[in-house]
Amino acid sequence: MMRAVHSEWSQRQPRSVDEECGKAFAPSPFSSAALVILVLAVLITPKAALAQGAFNLLASPGGITGVLTGTDYINTFGNMNALGIGAPQTGLKVTAVANGAIYFSQYQVQFTGLPAGHTARLTAYVSANFNHPLALVPENCPSTAACNTSGGYSPTSTSAAGPSIVVASMGNATVTVGIGLFLPDNDGAGAFAGVDTAAVISYSMTDLTTNRVVATATWTYNGTPNNTVQVAVRLTLGTATGGLTVTPAADYSMAFGNVNGLGIGPGAGLTTVASAGGIIYSTPYLLNPVFTDFSSTTATIKAYVSTNFAHPAVLKAEDAAAGAGPYTAISTNVAAPTQIATTAGDRTSITRYLGLFVANTNGATSFTGTDNATLTFTMTVP
Amino acid sequence: MKKNLFVLFAVLALTTAAFAGTQAVNTNTVSPTLQISATIQKAVQLTLSTGTTAPLHCVVAAGANPPDYTMNFGNVDALGINTGNCNRFTPATPGTSNAFYWTDYTLNPVYTSQATTAASTITAYVSTNFALANLSVVRSNPANSSAIPAGVGSFAAMSTVVGAQDTIANAADMTTAGSPGTLTRFIGVSIAPTNGAGLTGTTTATVTFTMTIN
Repeated sequence: MMRAVHSEWSQRQPRSVDEECGKAFAPSPFSSAALVILVLAVLITPKAALAQGAFNLLASPGGITGVLTGTDYINTFGNMNALGIGAPQTGLKVTAVANGAIYFSQYQVQFTGLPAGHTARLTAYVSANFNHPLALVPENCPSTAACNTSGGYSPTSTSAAGPSIVVASMGNATVTVGIGLFLPDNDGAGAFAGVDTAAVISYSMTDLTTNRVVATATWTYNGTPNNTVQVAVRLTLGTATGGLTVTPAADYSMAFGNVNGLGIGPGAGLTTVASAGGIIYSTPYLLNPVFTDFSSTTATIKAYVSTNFAHPAVLKAEDAAAGAGPYTAISTNVAAPTQIATTAGDRTSITRYLGLFVANTNGATSFTGTDNATLTFTMTVP
Repeated sequence: MKKNLFVLFAVLALTTAAFAGTQAVNTNTVSPTLQISATIQKAVQLTLSTGTTAPLHCVVAAGANPPDYTMNFGNVDALGINTGNCNRFTPATPGTSNAFYWTDYTLNPVYTSQATTAASTITAYVSTNFALANLSVVRSNPANSSAIPAGVGSFAAMSTVVGAQDTIANAADMTTAGSPGTLTRFIGVSIAPTNGAGLTGTTTATVTFTMTIN
């Protein structure tokens, strides 16, 4: 499985251009013709043999770890989703934003071997993108930004000619930077869920004194477990303007307070609607559907009374699309729930009206006191 | 052993991760719950409305709260010369006996969540009497009569004592009416043929009705 990048990456840093050239000159079984070509190459680029400097990518405390193979830093962000639901893979942080989620981690860049007085720049660009670039966007946080929050991250350049700056200028030292993946909240044609490990981030270290590239390396997403985008769903309830307060509590609760069969004195957030055999106390509330990386752009929402009132002849939960009604009793049958919405859109709130019917019965079947019921809403993205 | 490990990995890969009831990943459905609660209280309501059975009806109008309702008999006199706003019985002996101006009205009792209702009643009394001494409030006699008054003998003075109110609807009346129900009753003013100072002009009285559900 994953090994600490710090030890792995420190022991196996990418070779500098000098080292790569030296290697080229090492004894080998190359043919004479090939050897001639290599010698000529060195002769026409004599300055290359003078380049000095290298860089290491090191794990930050608590940050992502990976494995260095040659000059390739092999990593994975594991399972992700565009809603930022759940704990991210060890070493990563996740921040949900208005249009997706950003998974990110700090790491460190260490420059070594630069001649005295020299400084270098480290740049990065996406040399090979993900197979689904609308679903996975590599992000970079330069050393000049706060990389412990998602706000420091922006998309990594996809242009070799105009790469993103990772470290603008630094001598032989170590600095903290960040790498991330932005998952846009897509549904429909741009949506994707599954494994995508195709992207390659290419780093390049340039000695700013000589203006020469002295070291390169890559970052890939081929680690274990697979770099995977998962579908995600969320349905929350909220308080509508002028309605009863919807209180978050396993999962939500709504208190109608004191009610009576005549509708006398409805509490704040409630209105009464005439109904045969009693009265309906009505309140608006919000359904907030969110779903991501589905081919469908709409969802259905249904509801049923999963735990009914202890006095179902006196109290009934009812549903309406408008405050004035018409109201219909919410199903008590899990197999035949009441349809609330058929084309719920992602991040599109729905105002719905929940009615509490209170019967005006008297005598032995009447009831006074507190009662409660539980409604279960189910959102399904086809 | 290898086979067992493979099965384990396969199970892990297919597991749906759910977080609370409001969100989940690797699945296409989520089911949050909402608990709704309410406390049901007993409720009672007694409203008055314009009658429908007498020849003429004085209108029961909404008041300024207080009063809840108003009813205006119009111009009245002890000889029964004025017609008033609704019905009248002229005095049997003008100058000796009283004239009566009267109307029907409707009581609308409604009550809910009452465990027992068999001993329910509606009572009434004059909580604030007229300022003019020659004018008084009368009601059907008996007080719970729903029959259209035939003459002055169909009326009696309404109680002015809170502790001894007239029973406008007894338990049997209430049971018959039910909830919601309607009860027709009659009320009027009796004007005496007395003379003296301060016996003319506009004056008002207030009748208080009390419904009790038992």
